[in-house]
Amino acid sequence: MANVQDIRRRIKSVKNTQQVTKAMKMISAVKLRKTQERLLALRPYSTKLDEVVRHVVGRLRAVPTLQPGPVAQAFLAPREEKNIHLVLVASDKGLCGGFNANVLREAQAFLRDCPSHVAHFQAIGKRSIEWARKRQLKANGEHTGLAVTELKQVASEIAAQAAEQYEKGEIDALYVVFNYFQSAVAQVPMVMRVFPVEIEPHVEFRAETPHLLEPDPNEVLEHLLPLYIETELLRCLLESSTSEHGARMAAMDKASSNAEEMIAKLTLNMNKIRQASITNQIIEIVSGANA
Amino acid sequence: MSNPIKLEVLTPERLVFSAMVSEVQFPTAQQGYYGILPDHTPVLTPVGDGLVFFQQDDQPHCLTVFGGFAEVGPDRVTLLARESETIDQLNPEQIEREQQQALALLKEAKDEAALQAAQRRLDASLIRQQALSRDTSH
Repeated sequence: MANVQDIRRRIKSVKNTQQVTKAMKMISAVKLRKTQERLLALRPYSTKLDEVVRHVVGRLRAVPTLQPGPVAQAFLAPREEKNIHLVLVASDKGLCGGFNANVLREAQAFLRDCPSHVAHFQAIGKRSIEWARKRQLKANGEHTGLAVTELKQVASEIAAQAAEQYEKGEIDALYVVFNYFQSAVAQVPMVMRVFPVEIEPHVEFRAETPHLLEPDPNEVLEHLLPLYIETELLRCLLESSTSEHGARMAAMDKASSNAEEMIAKLTLNMNKIRQASITNQIIEIVSGANA
Repeated sequence: MSNPIKLEVLTPERLVFSAMVSEVQFPTAQQGYYGILPDHTPVLTPVGDGLVFFQQDDQPHCLTVFGGFAEVGPDRVTLLARESETIDQLNPEQIEREQQQALALLKEAKDEAALQAAQRRLDASLIRQQALSRDTSH
């Protein structure tokens, strides 16, 4: 039977762990709030940009007389997807529940079912780099230890690179695998095709006169595409980062309450043992006195 | 005086400006300035770097804008800018520092890419400075 001293020691160690998990939970909560603010701030911008892109593309697709330039083509007439550029976004650190496992499983499934060749692969976060190494996937670009403020820079670099590759014909599509931030407790891994843009037939053509495209439609598209890719990538990175903190917060919350439970059990156990030994001693004294 | 146009300036980081104004001028990427009065025909055009001028209650104002897109409707101007600041978001000392840094980089620049990057930073700081000097003159 374990003695009281041992159990006391264990309670102490569990308490220490609980303090660590509690602190991590609080840190994650703060970081979650910060990244979430950024994500929310990006939303009006990206919604508007998306609206503009859909409007322009929807209209230009209806006008077949246009001779699109190489970049504009990515929007208007998707090529057959032979080579793709894949960006995999995971986190640098663990201790965030199923966050990394889920997104990596999603990536695995995507690679298995994907008929096209991954011509260019980019890994963001240590976990995705390790994952790629294990599967002997050569990463053409790796990013680790990114602060929230650096995401914009990274997004614009990747966007510029992808647009250039598309123009050269090295890739036909850009995909991102990341965790979509549904709420602080629910993160959904998903695969998104950034371009070519998928557009439902434009039903709600706005009643007002269609926009003039200045200086000309091609020019507008050539400016719009990089901006659009950049914004979408930034959104994915922010979604992933927000999800990470959300997942970590949930995991650490769970860990803290588990520790609480364990302490309660151990304390109960300890008291029982202590009481048992006291009872024993009393019995001994009483029986000694009786004798 | 009525302000019939809704001017909105959005960046990926925040909503920079949103108010009703009566006249807007913004720089385009290639064709110089674009002036917008009420009931302008809808236009979509890339935005360049520079100052956006607008009239609010008969008072001239300006803000900075760097790249992006403009969507113009009869009663609105929406600028989707890569970066943008209103006057009160600018800090003169910081701009001064930024300008010194850009000048130093410009001197040290060895290849074309570094030269261009430094030049861009210098231009941006000049535009911001211009915005500040305009504001104090009113």
